[in-house]
Amino acid sequence: MSDATPRYVHRSSGVPGIAILFWLATCLPVMAAPLDEPLKPLPPIPQLDPATVELGRQLFNETQLSVNNTKSCASCHDLQTGGVDNRPFSLGFDGKPVALNTPTVFNASLNFKQFWNARVDTLEAQVEHVVTSPMEMGNDWKTVIRTLSALPHYQAAFRQIYPDGITPATVQNALATYERTLLTPNSRFDQYLLGNTDILTIEEKYGYQRFKEYGCIACHQGANIGGNMYQKFGVMDDYFKARGNPTEADLGRYLLTKDEEDRNVFKVPSLRNVAVTAPYFHDASAKTLEEAVDVMFKYQLGRIPSAEDKTLIVLFLKTLTGEWAGKPL
Amino acid sequence: MKLSRRATQIMLSTMTLILASTLVFLYIKSSSDQTSIYTESRDLIREIKQLNSQWDSEVLKARIALTHNYDPLVAPLTEMNRLWATLQQRGSQHRHEDPARWQAGQDAYRQAIDEKARLVDQFKSHNAVLRNSLAFLPTAEDDIQAQFLALTDAERLLQQGIATDTYDVLLSSLEFAQVTSDDKAADILVGLNTLAINKQSLPESFQVPVEILSKHIALILREQPLVNGLLERIAAVPLAERLDDLTNQLNQDQTASELLDQKYHRYLLVFSILLVALLLYLAIRLLRSFAEINRVNRALHVVNESLEQRVEERTRELKDAQSELMDSARQAGMAEIATNVLHNVGNVLNSVNISAELVTRKLRTSKALGLGKAMQLINEHRRDLGTFITEDEKGKLLPDYLNQLVEAIATEQQGLTEELAQLSKSVDHIKDIVSTQQSYAGASTLLEPVLISALMEDALRMNSGALSRHHVTVVKHYHDVPEIMADKHRLLLILVNLISNAKYAMSNLTDRTRQMTLTVIPLDDGTLQISIKDEGEGIPAQNMTRIFTHGFTTRKEGHGFGLHSCALAALEMKGSLTAHSDGPGKGALFTLLIPLDPVRT
Repeated sequence: MSDATPRYVHRSSGVPGIAILFWLATCLPVMAAPLDEPLKPLPPIPQLDPATVELGRQLFNETQLSVNNTKSCASCHDLQTGGVDNRPFSLGFDGKPVALNTPTVFNASLNFKQFWNARVDTLEAQVEHVVTSPMEMGNDWKTVIRTLSALPHYQAAFRQIYPDGITPATVQNALATYERTLLTPNSRFDQYLLGNTDILTIEEKYGYQRFKEYGCIACHQGANIGGNMYQKFGVMDDYFKARGNPTEADLGRYLLTKDEEDRNVFKVPSLRNVAVTAPYFHDASAKTLEEAVDVMFKYQLGRIPSAEDKTLIVLFLKTLTGEWAGKPL
Repeated sequence: MKLSRRATQIMLSTMTLILASTLVFLYIKSSSDQTSIYTESRDLIREIKQLNSQWDSEVLKARIALTHNYDPLVAPLTEMNRLWATLQQRGSQHRHEDPARWQAGQDAYRQAIDEKARLVDQFKSHNAVLRNSLAFLPTAEDDIQAQFLALTDAERLLQQGIATDTYDVLLSSLEFAQVTSDDKAADILVGLNTLAINKQSLPESFQVPVEILSKHIALILREQPLVNGLLERIAAVPLAERLDDLTNQLNQDQTASELLDQKYHRYLLVFSILLVALLLYLAIRLLRSFAEINRVNRALHVVNESLEQRVEERTRELKDAQSELMDSARQAGMAEIATNVLHNVGNVLNSVNISAELVTRKLRTSKALGLGKAMQLINEHRRDLGTFITEDEKGKLLPDYLNQLVEAIATEQQGLTEELAQLSKSVDHIKDIVSTQQSYAGASTLLEPVLISALMEDALRMNSGALSRHHVTVVKHYHDVPEIMADKHRLLLILVNLISNAKYAMSNLTDRTRQMTLTVIPLDDGTLQISIKDEGEGIPAQNMTRIFTHGFTTRKEGHGFGLHSCALAALEMKGSLTAHSDGPGKGALFTLLIPLDPVRT
């Protein structure tokens, strides 16, 4: 009796074995090895504590973070419109426009530093700057803590997650935790990088090739396709002179370091979801991708591309749009 | 004595506490896991150092354009900062020989890594554009050459010099990228100027590519020394040295802490030896005192045994004495009972005596003697009896006389019979007394239906002789009382005694009539009150408390048992007997209270 069972199993195991082999054979093209490219696929969305993420989500949409109860994080970083509000300059709590174009909150955790001039290292510090900025939320932490403490559901949620309850650090941590989950996976280009090379059209593949050839990848590379270094705006020519009307914000990192070396130096922005985050550049001067690509060629690369190459590159850039909550952005 | 013992106890416990805490203190001091913490911290520093090397190698890779991805130049810093935070958490657990120096070492490291991060960030920016331009140079050259190729031979010959110049400056630039020297920089500068002049003489279509090339070469000329300088400065950042410094400090701290550990180990050892010696000393003391205790114990045991023997002897003697006492007590009890019985019997015997005397007196004065005289007359006239009876004067009276005699004898006989019945009743009472006294042993009471008025009459009758002799008038106030359940003989005993006492109390009375009043009243609280009142000599106040005690009497021939036994009998019937007198010569009132327990039909 005892040896009958293994024999039965042994005989029957042939069928699923063949099935697996067949499946493996048919799926092989899909499961091709990831490509080794200067651009890297988006890392997986981190699995963080769901309660903290939920609390962060509520805070992200909380208008009471601003001094006059008008602006939440989501007011400028609308997740339905690419994590930005598509205005040249978002409006602060007082209804006046801020100095710089709003960068997207999506994939912000992959940037090596935050803000256009990369003035802080962490998302937590970014929260700190926005909440207390006299241009943006115009609030102070004492008021924020008092306001949140008056709301019973925040009291309960914070107490459950943090032994310290509601403090500036825990508010920042909850928001930053939520923002770390705001990645936009599954863009067509990511699928391509992961080995599904059929997903891109031939034009898009050419676009990517031009992108590399013309040297865009000198700065826009890595997992976030940018966001990992500083660069001077106007390497090859004086962009600001050509544009005219210089502002203080144009000084970039010089405002922080007062080092001549850092004049007009900004963080290289990520190109992920670039097709849905117009307008472009810190001054929102480019309304379309084509305009932006032109500026980049002229002032950063010092090259003159053919019209066809430019079209191809724009086609490529449109493959970088990922998904949020299961839907393409 | 007690206080000193308490003080000793407190001193002992304090000493024990001090010794124990010293031991614990030394143990904790000597067994701290500092070594493992130092090792872990050194491991962290080693990891940071490895990451630093990795960072350096990534910088070099970027320098020679092996990779275009700058993420690896960011990642090591993030990881190093994370490890550094862990190290600082641990650092607070260390024992630092020189905390200021440790702090300085940490500050130096922070400063170094901040500087290096800043330089690497600058390197990234400059290197990116430099590599881009260098990579573009051949293409730019190709673009210009393409323009040349498009020219006619004659024109090309004309521009040959320009083409060579362009090519030269391109080569110089590539060379400059490899060997950056001032000479080469000067060469390139000259080349660029030449190019700028040449550009003027070139056709319009030539000017744009040349201009682009010039710009890129100018960029290389500008950026290459910068990148080289940055690389040198990055290499010069003493990050590894700072880390080594921290490791050295940790080593020194560990050595010091190990020395300290060793010192405490030695202390612990010495202290342990001292403790062991103390324990040994105490053990010896304990053994000695144990032996002493054993010796004393044995002595005590011996003493104890002899004591036990003596106690046993005494106990035996005591037991003997007690049994003797019990015997005498029993005899005494028996004597008391006998006295009691004899007293009561004596009382009744009085009645018997009186009855017997009465019978004797009646027999002596019997009318039966008259019958003999009549018979004598008849015998004298035997022959002429008829004539005698009918004619003789005397003879005529004879039949009437006989008739009267018969009547008298009949009356006499009836009186005798009554008196004898009284006598036999008294004898029965004696029998009852004896049997009652026998039943006293069990102190049992026999309840039977009793009609109180009849019982009173019996008691009076038993004393009737004496009462009539002493001319005592008895007044009776009997209320209606149902037949009750009571101990008839005890009740009779009490009544006989009280009546007899009342009679005696009035025996010396001459100035007034001797009157005794008997009262029977049922009381509301369910008791029956029987009282016997006399007009006799009364009871002096000083005797009032003693009259019920055993052996008390005021009479010469009395025993002092009567009232005592009466009071006892009343108690046994759950009743009470009390006496009252207004004083000598004013008579006395004895009141018996017994439960009124009607017979249930």
